Amino acid sequence: MSVTPPNRDAGHWAKPIRKIKVTDVPAGAVNLNVDGQAVVSPLQGFGTLWQKTYQVRLPGVTLSAAEVMRIWRENFPRLQPAGNHFFPPAAGIEPGRVIFIDTTLPVFPGLPGLIPIAAGVVVIYEDDECFTVMTPAGFPECGWNTFSVQVEEGVPVAQVQSLARAADPIYEFGLYVMGGAQKQEGTWQAVLTALAAHFGVAGQVQMHRTCLDPRLQWAEAGNVWHNAALRTILYVLATPLRRLFPPRLKSGPRQP
Amino acid sequence: MATKALETSVRRAGVVSVISLEGEIDGFAEEALNHAYTAAAAPDVTAVLLKFDRVDYINSTGIALIVGLLAQARKSGRRLLTSGLSQHYREIFQITRLSDFMQIYPDEATALAQNA
Repeated sequence: MSVTPPNRDAGHWAKPIRKIKVTDVPAGAVNLNVDGQAVVSPLQGFGTLWQKTYQVRLPGVTLSAAEVMRIWRENFPRLQPAGNHFFPPAAGIEPGRVIFIDTTLPVFPGLPGLIPIAAGVVVIYEDDECFTVMTPAGFPECGWNTFSVQVEEGVPVAQVQSLARAADPIYEFGLYVMGGAQKQEGTWQAVLTALAAHFGVAGQVQMHRTCLDPRLQWAEAGNVWHNAALRTILYVLATPLRRLFPPRLKSGPRQP
Repeated sequence: MATKALETSVRRAGVVSVISLEGEIDGFAEEALNHAYTAAAAPDVTAVLLKFDRVDYINSTGIALIVGLLAQARKSGRRLLTSGLSQHYREIFQITRLSDFMQIYPDEATALAQNA
């Protein structure tokens, strides 16, 4: 009897996820808007579907793509700009695990973020040279980000590529009127600039935007009920009540 | 391990265009996939069938390319169908939620019987 050999990519993909089950909350992270949510693809969202690609070349770096990726992964939280906190799982970035995020959304283009949001993304694919995260319902965007390194003509090139659309009408407004998209683009440019600086390179980040689908998907407008920003605001406003009536713990231990 | 660049071939079956895929769907497959889709998307074509029987590797960049095709198809009112997905790739289409938007058939004959 012949046995079908496993696909070479089999170990790199997460298992099917019906609802996200959080088992490990890193210190400092807040397990809010992630546990119990479904993951959502770029096709489930409301707004215009964009593919945005950010690249930085690392001339003079003689490491392999896998080595650059390993260093990037190890320093992922540290390379984020101020106010953007990423909490990778203690076990490392592996398929099926959650990376928690604590950040703020802007209220006007160019201004610092003011609206708090605690959320997370799920690692759906990981190999030596790239990994991909997918958003849960309620996240500002529906879709995924792929972080990768490849060597082009002897020079490592680090890349972030997002394929996503705003999850609901409020997020669409926030992204394209209140400055959310500008902040997001600035974030990934800052991350790649910081990565280049880590290798001693003054990186020039190149960005390309492609609109894959300009339509608004009004059938998905109901996603607003999962809106993580609204839920985070309610969570913050309810803090005094939680102190009076302590709930069951949902957050990891706070860092000193 | 040796890798196999994606090769495609396109043919018509009534109002369905069939794209046969062979090799690996990763970042290097972009040109081949887009070229095949452009050839397949004739004005009178109502559905495009992607045959995965001979695909033996898909990474997340490859899945993003398929999403791009799906967005193009939906924009122009065409359906994107698949056949020949192994159980492993069916699971990947579930993880990435592509299966919510693409009809998955066990084989080409079934796909054509229901869409041609």
